Amino acid sequence: MEEQVILTEKELLEDGFGDHPFYHCLVAEVPSDQRTSEGYTVIAFAMYYFTYDPWIGKLLYLEDFYVMEQFRGFGIGSQILKVLSETAVRTRCSSMHFIVAENNKKSIEFYKRRGAADLSYEEGWRLFAIDKERLMKMSAK
Amino acid sequence: MEYKLRKAEAKDVPDILRLVKELAKYEEMEHQVTLTEKELLEDGFGDTPFYHCIIAEIQGGGSSDDAKVVGFAMYYFTYDPWVGKQLYLEEFYVMDEYRGLGIGSEILRHLSDLAMKTRCTGMMFVVAENNEPSIQFYKRRGAEDLSQEEGWRLYRIDKSSLVKMATPGEE
Repeated sequence: MEEQVILTEKELLEDGFGDHPFYHCLVAEVPSDQRTSEGYTVIAFAMYYFTYDPWIGKLLYLEDFYVMEQFRGFGIGSQILKVLSETAVRTRCSSMHFIVAENNKKSIEFYKRRGAADLSYEEGWRLFAIDKERLMKMSAK
Repeated sequence: MEYKLRKAEAKDVPDILRLVKELAKYEEMEHQVTLTEKELLEDGFGDTPFYHCIIAEIQGGGSSDDAKVVGFAMYYFTYDPWVGKQLYLEEFYVMDEYRGLGIGSEILRHLSDLAMKTRCTGMMFVVAENNEPSIQFYKRRGAEDLSQEEGWRLYRIDKSSLVKMATPGEE
């Protein structure tokens, strides 16, 4: 779905590193002698932000989480999740939330091994979205 | 009946917690609300707000002291790495006796306006699969069920599991 990524570097910069960050990122970097054939040393990342549950308070929301294929199997993903867990505990979050596609068995197992519960299954939550066009329609009324 | 919508202020925290508990009661989960007024105050009206609220207030007959908070929406901004900022609607409730007056629609219109002003590309929220009235309310306004269409499921790693992961283990 690469063509659906319309976000630009300019927007990422403003939104993440301006006065009010709308997201935070953790990156994994390898020494330059292990860089990829294209010369990249940043080989994994996690994007997260803080959300709020009106029953219990602050939550850490894991939005994106990716390790480049050639660098998998070395525990980088586990380490990223560990640092995120530390961040969540330090910032007094009650839990970490995220979504997973129901057919992504590998990720589901990865998370379940670490204690994740499927709230869509257990509590029946469904994710809804209203797109920009419909929002404009509503705001103009 | 005259009502007005406005941005919540620190003084509204007791009413926000009251309405959060009322909605939880409606879902038969009132005992699960452990949040306190102190936390709501710090988290919403401190240096970094973690949430924002819109309040619906009914004007009393007499002085402005008669104003009563009868509905609210709690929201915050999230980020989609493909398209950017989103407005996330976390909680949305109008007291039973004040429904049918268009307060809910007006709150949603206000939020749509806000989403446009803050350059959000969409609004997201979760709905319980058995909550037919809410599902219909949102579908009438163009909402799509992404769980159904794209297979997304919401997961949670709770605090005890986070603490387990954060603390160095035997590895």
